[in-house]
Amino acid sequence: METEQFVIIGIVIALVIAVAAPFLASGNPDGLESAFFSIHEAKPFMGSELDEEAAGAAEEEAIATTGNDFSYEALMPDYTIPGLDKVGEVLAIVLGTVVMIALAYGIARVTARPDN
Amino acid sequence: MHIPDAFIPMGQALVYWVIALIFIALALRWARRSMGEEKIPLVAVLAAGIFAIQALNIPIPWGTSGHMVGAALAAIVLGSPFAGVFVLTLVLLVQGIIFGDGGITVMGANIVNMGVVGGFVGYYGYAAVKGVIGNTYAAAFIAGWASLFISAILCAVELAIAGTFPLSLGLTFMGTYHAVIGLIEGGITAVALYLIASARPDILEHPQAVSA
Repeated sequence: METEQFVIIGIVIALVIAVAAPFLASGNPDGLESAFFSIHEAKPFMGSELDEEAAGAAEEEAIATTGNDFSYEALMPDYTIPGLDKVGEVLAIVLGTVVMIALAYGIARVTARPDN
Repeated sequence: MHIPDAFIPMGQALVYWVIALIFIALALRWARRSMGEEKIPLVAVLAAGIFAIQALNIPIPWGTSGHMVGAALAAIVLGSPFAGVFVLTLVLLVQGIIFGDGGITVMGANIVNMGVVGGFVGYYGYAAVKGVIGNTYAAAFIAGWASLFISAILCAVELAIAGTFPLSLGLTFMGTYHAVIGLIEGGITAVALYLIASARPDILEHPQAVSA
């Protein structure tokens, strides 16, 4: 397979995943969040019922423990665009994928071993 | 496995940033010495694919989900553990800065856990298992699983030092969930490696012929 064809197919696969992700992705807490909530008794270790109130309290408790109250408002928080629902999620992940291609290409371009 | 800011005190987060920066510098040195220009499009495609697949949380039991990290895949395909650091650092920068996924002060810890541990366990695990059992895809699966599992164990230790988790519960819960999420990592690593190897066998680096 030619490099161009390989790159195009690779990018298409990435974009297909990006478009599909908001529809397919599980909204359950990830492994770290789930462990955190379980340890703080907002969720049973081997169960799935999340106590939202206890979860919120656990997050407050974590800030109190570590003293790290740094907060940062991301442009597209949690892969959403405020005001747009599913469309915003698709757009956010597609935009992220495009930014990723450009950034990785650019950084690789300036840092790669020169061929001659 | 993206640690948010609140989970690690600022001082400790700074230590992880220093460790991360050392590995980022080594990854840049690897790129300058060993990442040929012909690899540039592959790096871009891998970074984009890894970013997209990380957005796809797959449900596991116990009301939990997990997604692929991808450092092992990048390290195996590009033939160096530093490739895992290189690609994951870029992915984590975009996730943290644009999407608020993973904290800013703790980004160093996330780079260490996912990029450094993922890249090194993935790369050397793959080379070792392949040497023993000979099968490329079984080796990729096992290395992918181990990279994710060990990242999670280190994460639990960091959060115990931070005071966010008690150590034993943290290890048990993080270990259990990520032993399952590791199957996702291993499976996608093996399938992606197969697809890349089928399409372009020439661009795969071979572990024996590589130095950092």
